Order: sequence, then structure tokens, then C-alpha cells
Amino acid sequence: MTTVAATGLNVATPRAFVRPAARLSAPVRLNYPWKFSSMKRMVKLSVKATPEGEISEKVEKSIQEAKETCADDPVSGECVAAWDEVEELSAAASHARDKKKAGGSDPLEEYCSDNPETDECRTYDN
Amino acid sequence: MAVSTIYSTQALNSTHFLTSSSSSKQVFFYRRHQPQTNRSFNTTITCAAQQTVVIGLAADSGCGKSTFMRRLTSVFGGAAEPPKGGNPDSNTLISDMTTVICLDDYHSLDRTGRKEKGVTALDPRANDFDLMYEQVKALKSGIAVEKPIYNHVTGLLDAPELIQPPKILVIEGLHPMFDERVRDLLDFSIYLDISNEVKFAWKIQRDMAERGHSLESIKASIEARKPDFDAFIDPQKQYADAVIEVLPTQLIPDDNEGKVLRVRLIMKEGVQYFSPVYLFDEGSTISWIPCGRKLTCSYPGIKFNYSPDSYFDHEVSVVEMDGQFDRLDELIYVESHLSNLSTKFYGEVTQQMLKHADFPGSNNGTGLFQTIVGLKIRDLYEQLIANKATAPAETAKA
Repeated sequence: MTTVAATGLNVATPRAFVRPAARLSAPVRLNYPWKFSSMKRMVKLSVKATPEGEISEKVEKSIQEAKETCADDPVSGECVAAWDEVEELSAAASHARDKKKAGGSDPLEEYCSDNPETDECRTYDN
Repeated sequence: MAVSTIYSTQALNSTHFLTSSSSSKQVFFYRRHQPQTNRSFNTTITCAAQQTVVIGLAADSGCGKSTFMRRLTSVFGGAAEPPKGGNPDSNTLISDMTTVICLDDYHSLDRTGRKEKGVTALDPRANDFDLMYEQVKALKSGIAVEKPIYNHVTGLLDAPELIQPPKILVIEGLHPMFDERVRDLLDFSIYLDISNEVKFAWKIQRDMAERGHSLESIKASIEARKPDFDAFIDPQKQYADAVIEVLPTQLIPDDNEGKVLRVRLIMKEGVQYFSPVYLFDEGSTISWIPCGRKLTCSYPGIKFNYSPDSYFDHEVSVVEMDGQFDRLDELIYVESHLSNLSTKFYGEVTQQMLKHADFPGSNNGTGLFQTIVGLKIRDLYEQLIANKATAPAETAKA
């Protein structure tokens, strides 16, 4: 069977790991999972930030780092590489912003702007 | 994904044209062991496999490559999207006819590696040109490849993704024409040359919304990258078949806003399957202001220029547009006077520009020339395919 090497997922016939009968018993044991590892779960929840916020923070951090690196030696390779990193992250940030703007609009509108001739998108003016 | 049909050896005895409805054609030959004979055989196997047309697009980051890509894929129809079900941070775009590969995926050093060595992404030392050449060659011959992914968010090299050979492969990035072997694989190449003032204005527009950025930091970033850019990226423009040069306008004296642009489309003469756009008559020099009695334009108006020229010791034709479009009828008027646009119907350029009226540059020469180059690429593709179709495939078993 083929395997999608990129994600390492096996897209062959899905194997059911959990049989229906087993599922009924699961809730009994896992009713209060937080009681077993409360601290771990809380830490996990707080790390999840929005991707856009992440990139903006990275941009800010990289600018600070670049200024520090260049304060020592403005011509060195490290300084240049630091500013290059700023540029790369700024580009990524602006792409993320564009994606977010595009994704926020109505999916039907989006589809119809690309394919106005399909049945769903036909408009009848008269 | 292997769909194999096993043909018996009898079928392969004579010249046989193998056709298949699948988009990727792969022919496997299995030959039984035969006793040695004295006769020498010539076995020529030519596959009528799908020929991939490879286009290269070079530009610095933040210079409108993604806009160009969207316009280009739109000319062929359909929207280009990242591969479904794969890495969400993949840089690849796939549509029906085209696949766009970002050359950043061939970085040999990730962000930390580059910081340690003190190299920028512009430096050839940070890129694996051997792998780039291998994979582009494979895709061009119709073989699927496992292409690495460079994650721009984390700065790391992610697990590779499978890329199927498309009808049109576009490689966009900083170094499509840097390596000579890759350059020879390209059927057409484009370079986006943005002048320093315009680059500064565009980057300000892009980055001022970001917290942490200031005018100084943007300026410092551009200045720091300039030496590497001039040394490694800029020289690629001499190899390009078409250069889109973006300069500040000459219509407004002392303009430093960068809103109105002067865009030049420099087209190399003598490129196979590529006939340059011209105004009035090929090879002549003409300066044209369309605004007048038939067309009223608002300030600063539009000015066109067409002339033959010499660019890095090559014969070129240059079409230049200064100013911006305010109304639809300006666009259609201009389109009706340009020749050799490779449109399929009257008004196609205008239609494409209107379709993407929200893209940056839709009201000036950048959008116009990007659209025209897209139509030229479509024309080139169709000519190439027509040429390849007239040469029938033969499989001769000795």
C-alpha cells in the first residue's frame, strides 16, 4: 500500500484501533483525567498561541537580536545574517496576515470569484 | 500510486504507441533473459510521456512574486492552493496545470545554521544546488520527487513532500538562474527587478503594521542584505528572457511616495517560442500618451514608450508604462493598441486585470506586464506542446 512519505501517515485501509465495545468502558476510567496529571494539562493549554501572534513575536524578538548583534560589529556576517532573519520573518508575517484576511471572507464568495460559471455561482439579472 | 499494466512481449515487438489516460505516464519494461547472439541490437525506447515546461522566476523577497504567481496560475485557469493534507506550512502551490515550487525549500542550512555561519539566505553557500538540479530535472522528465520543505515560520527543514510532475512547473525564489545546469533546464525565465527606492517604499508598506518594526529597522535590514543581493541575486538578470523593472515615476517631479510607478518590460529577442510585445511597429521607437481627445485621464496620466535596446549585450525590446489606470476604458484602450499580446480574444488582458482588481499593482504597469507575461507563457507552453505532439513516440524492441 502506498504511504505518504511527507507526513508519515499510512493512507491505506484505515485500521480501527478501538473497537466499539471497548469505547463504552473507556469513559469509566478516563472520567477525570486531570486528576492524574493536572499540572501537565494546564501547561499544555497555555502554550497554544495563535500562529499570527507567534510570528509577530518572533519578528519583534529578531529585530531586537539583530540590533544587539550589529551594535558590536556592523559589518560582520552575524549582523547581516541577523537582519536577513528579520526580513524572512517579516515576509512570513505578511503572508500570514494575507492568508488570514483571505480566509476570513465568505468561502462561497471566494469560490465564486474564481469560478463564476459554475452552477452555484450563476447570477440571474433579469 | 503505481498503476501498472503488464503488456506481453508480443505487443512490444513492433513500433507501438503507448497511450494512457493517467496524467503521469510511466512505462516499465520487463525483459526476459535471452541467450546471447552475435547480432548487435539497437534498443531505442522513446516515451511519449508528458513534457513538463519549466519556468523560472527570480526576485528578492517582498517583491510581488506571490502576486505574480496568482496572476500566472489564473491565466491558465483555476486557483493554486497548497497541497491538501500535507504540511500546512508548505510553500508549494498546486493547480490543475501548474505547480509552483519555492526555491527556499532547497536551503542546505536552516535558520540556526545560517546564523552560526553568518550567511544570509541569499548566499549560494546556504543552498543545495545539486539537489535543486536533480529534482527539477526529474520533474521535467516526468518523475515524481520527494522535495524537502523549508518552514518559514520555524526556520527549520521539515520532512519532504511528494511532488507529482505537472504540465507547467514554476520555480520561484532567489536563485533560479544562478546555477548553470538549472538555467539550462528552464524554458523561460523572468526576473523582477525592483529599484531601491520602490523596494524601500514597498517594504515600509508591508512592515510598518508589524510591532517592533520602525523606519530604521526596515532600512537597516535592506542595507545589510544589499551586498549579498548585489553579488548573488542581481547578476541573474542578464540570463532572464524577460525582466520586469520597477522604477519611481518620472511624471511627478520629486515624488517619493512610490504610489505611481514606471514599469519597464524588457524582452529578449530571439528566444524560441517567445515573440515580444510591441507598440505600433516592431523595432521602431515610439513614445505614446493615450490621454487626449478619445480618453480623459486624471493626474498624472499614462505614458507609454517602446523601443529596441541593448541589455547586457543582448538585443531586447522594451515596453514601458509610466502612470496608473483609473478606469476600465483606459485599460481596454491601451490593450487595443498593443500588439503581439498572445491573447485568445479581444479584451483578455483587461479581463484578467479586472478579475484580480484587488491584487497590488492592478492599476499600473506591474499588474499589466505580469498579466502579459502570463499570457506569453501560456503561448509558449501551447507552442511547445504542439511541437512535441508532432514527433510521435516509438518503442522499438530489438
